Amino acid sequence: MTVNPPVPSQLDVAGELLALLRETTTEPRPDNQLEALTLAVAADLPVLLWGEPGIGKTAALTQLAAALDLPLTTVIASVHEPSDFSGLPVVGDDPAEQGVPMAPPDWAVRLVRAGRGLLFLDELSTAPPAVQAALLRLVLERRVGALQLPPGVRIVAAANPRSSAADGWELSPPLANRFVHLQWAHDHEVVVRGLGGTWPRATLPRLDARALPAAVEHARRAVCEFLTVRPPLVHRLPSGETRRGGAWPSPRSWDMTLRLIAFATAAGSSREVLSMLVRGTVGDGPALELLAALDRMELPDPEVLLADPAGAELPERGDRRQAVLDGIVSAVCRRPEKSRWDAAWTIMVRALETGAPDLVVVPATSLAALRREEWDVPAAIERLAGVVDLSRRADLAAERTADRTGARVGAGR
Amino acid sequence: MSAVAPGTLDLGKLFAARLHAARVRPYLATALFALHTVESRRVPTMAVDRYWRCYVSPAFVDRTPVEELAGVWVHEVSHLLRDHHGRGDRAARLQGLNGPGARLRMNIAADCEINDDVFGDGLVMPEGAVTPEALGLCGGELMEDYLRRFGLGPLTHNLVWLDCGSGADGMERDWDLGPDGAHGLSEQEQDAVRFRVAQGINGRPGHTPKGWKRWAEDAFHPPQPWRELLGAAVRSAASGAGAGEDYSYGRPSRRSACLPGVVLPSLRRRPPRVSVVIDTSGSVSDAELGSALLEVAAIAQALGGRRDLVTVVPCDAAARIVHPLCEGEGIPLLGGGGTDLRAGFARALGQGPRPDVIVVLTDGQTAWPAVRPPCRTVVGVFDRPERARWDEDDPDYVPDPTPAWARVVSVGSSASSR
Repeated sequence: MTVNPPVPSQLDVAGELLALLRETTTEPRPDNQLEALTLAVAADLPVLLWGEPGIGKTAALTQLAAALDLPLTTVIASVHEPSDFSGLPVVGDDPAEQGVPMAPPDWAVRLVRAGRGLLFLDELSTAPPAVQAALLRLVLERRVGALQLPPGVRIVAAANPRSSAADGWELSPPLANRFVHLQWAHDHEVVVRGLGGTWPRATLPRLDARALPAAVEHARRAVCEFLTVRPPLVHRLPSGETRRGGAWPSPRSWDMTLRLIAFATAAGSSREVLSMLVRGTVGDGPALELLAALDRMELPDPEVLLADPAGAELPERGDRRQAVLDGIVSAVCRRPEKSRWDAAWTIMVRALETGAPDLVVVPATSLAALRREEWDVPAAIERLAGVVDLSRRADLAAERTADRTGARVGAGR
Repeated sequence: MSAVAPGTLDLGKLFAARLHAARVRPYLATALFALHTVESRRVPTMAVDRYWRCYVSPAFVDRTPVEELAGVWVHEVSHLLRDHHGRGDRAARLQGLNGPGARLRMNIAADCEINDDVFGDGLVMPEGAVTPEALGLCGGELMEDYLRRFGLGPLTHNLVWLDCGSGADGMERDWDLGPDGAHGLSEQEQDAVRFRVAQGINGRPGHTPKGWKRWAEDAFHPPQPWRELLGAAVRSAASGAGAGEDYSYGRPSRRSACLPGVVLPSLRRRPPRVSVVIDTSGSVSDAELGSALLEVAAIAQALGGRRDLVTVVPCDAAARIVHPLCEGEGIPLLGGGGTDLRAGFARALGQGPRPDVIVVLTDGQTAWPAVRPPCRTVVGVFDRPERARWDEDDPDYVPDPTPAWARVVSVGSSASSR
């Protein structure tokens, strides 16, 4: 007998090629989407990822599970029957006497046994309505049949947007209100670089244990102060066809917002991440209003600036700087005193020296109008001559504009 | 007038112009002040990037009067507020427009969208500004609409120098400082500025031009294409519990084999019956009806796969006959005169097997049934804002609002690609 040299089978060669293709590296890269998802999952809120099919929602979930060290259980909702979520009847010896227990499916049993895990409900939007109704209970009460999922289990669902969903299912307002809606989009650069062999490795947010009490303080203050001045936004059912199935404000979703602000603050997350989370909880309009209020909260307090005008630090950005100057004028207006008026002039001069002069014009004019007869004009005001000149130039431009448009109307018609 | 060395940027003039712009357009002040000025000799005039930096050519500032500079300020900030770079990118992706030529067309189209309503009322149009009229187009449309209407040709050959920067068309320029440069606004900060401007306009709409009001209303809720909305509404009405898919004991469940002695229901798909009630009164145009009816037929067919389950009820003041859709395209949409859709509802519900879904296509000038019909209802309302709703005989006539039990989609060309 002769021994043939081992001829590699075609499948072995194919295996080699596959192994080569799998050889990819990763590089760290900030990823706001993934950071928002991680924070929401850490905050134990059910998340719903909206995204076109095939853009890497599942891949993101795999990465998240690995980062949080949670076992991932994926359930494709559209291939299940409702009884898979509400429990399968198992007939015993004497059903009339002992009843028919509703047995949970194996994945739920494994989840409960593990005590923790990431449950990913994929393709929520292509599941038949009856299955979605059964899933409602799973998401809301965390029950599968007779089984209660332990608190260590986190739930993330994924759905295709209405434009690409074949069956056009959409969330009812009560269900929509219980999710944090995150829009999932692919980043062109990341995809191209990934296909070239280098996938991003997101640096996940870390909660700072020392910052926790301050974060809760901050979140409570932000939401409460905002809702105090905007009572209609506490509860507003979505109206109109375009806003159906999305996030909307209610006491429940504001509570979720509060929790997410605290988490984002404790993790030191960027405004982008916070914006994604808050918009996904209470909807775009209320979220943008809240974020604007947060911006104002972070602007320097006019009273602090007036107390120490020489050391006043004004924001760099023009629109925020103008907001601060306006705040100072209204603070002086509320409690007009000579010393405060003088301090405000000092700040105006500072603003003129450190930034664009045109945004000082309006606050300076309003401040001048606050003058009482017995108040002397402060020496600092002379340094605002440039502002007066600027204002005059703008006035002249306005006059010329009036002349030109007036002339044009006369000539043209 | 000012002692500025030749060749350096005359900031005084530039800021006087911005002040003038902020005075005549107070609702844009936040956005104007949020722009960060960067002196640049490579920019032909003034240009913006997508991070809200404004690049300014010193020579351009020198030769342009203050009042025209103010117009340029407003023009440039409008590119950013209206998200022309994002919309340009989307248009490039959807319509496969690539290269500098296409981006120049986007810039021109974006300029047309701005220039047709931003000037006047205290603001002078800068010299050489592009208007839709100069290209032989009608005004008042969106960038995406203009983009389809013209190509580069003799009318645009004197515009090739035109360059409002990457903020206007989404293509990076070599003078751009990029995302890492200083003083850029992040997306969230841009949204915050847009939101404040929109709030200012919505709060005091008084003298704001129509274009800005339209922008402010849509800034954060762009209208969705009505086809998708109507499709989603019909699909969700037809596939909701009770219609279409449901449990039936008519056949055993596939799980019955492993549970002897237990009768389990199985999920069965019963194609939904859809009845389309069409308002054939004089006020609805044939083109509108045709497009909407086609859409409904396509959706219903995709749901059931059976055209015989879709019926059509033409209705003006009275409903005449019920037509099955399988009769082909020859459904006579008779009518004209007044509308009373209550007759149409009665007729649709009176047919043999009752429909699971009623789709109503109307212009909204009708009376509605007082009680909720016993099936899901989707109403497509033809949206024509330019034609006021009125009645010759009764000047105080206000049509009934669409009922709360129906899902209402506005159908029309006005909610276009944005």
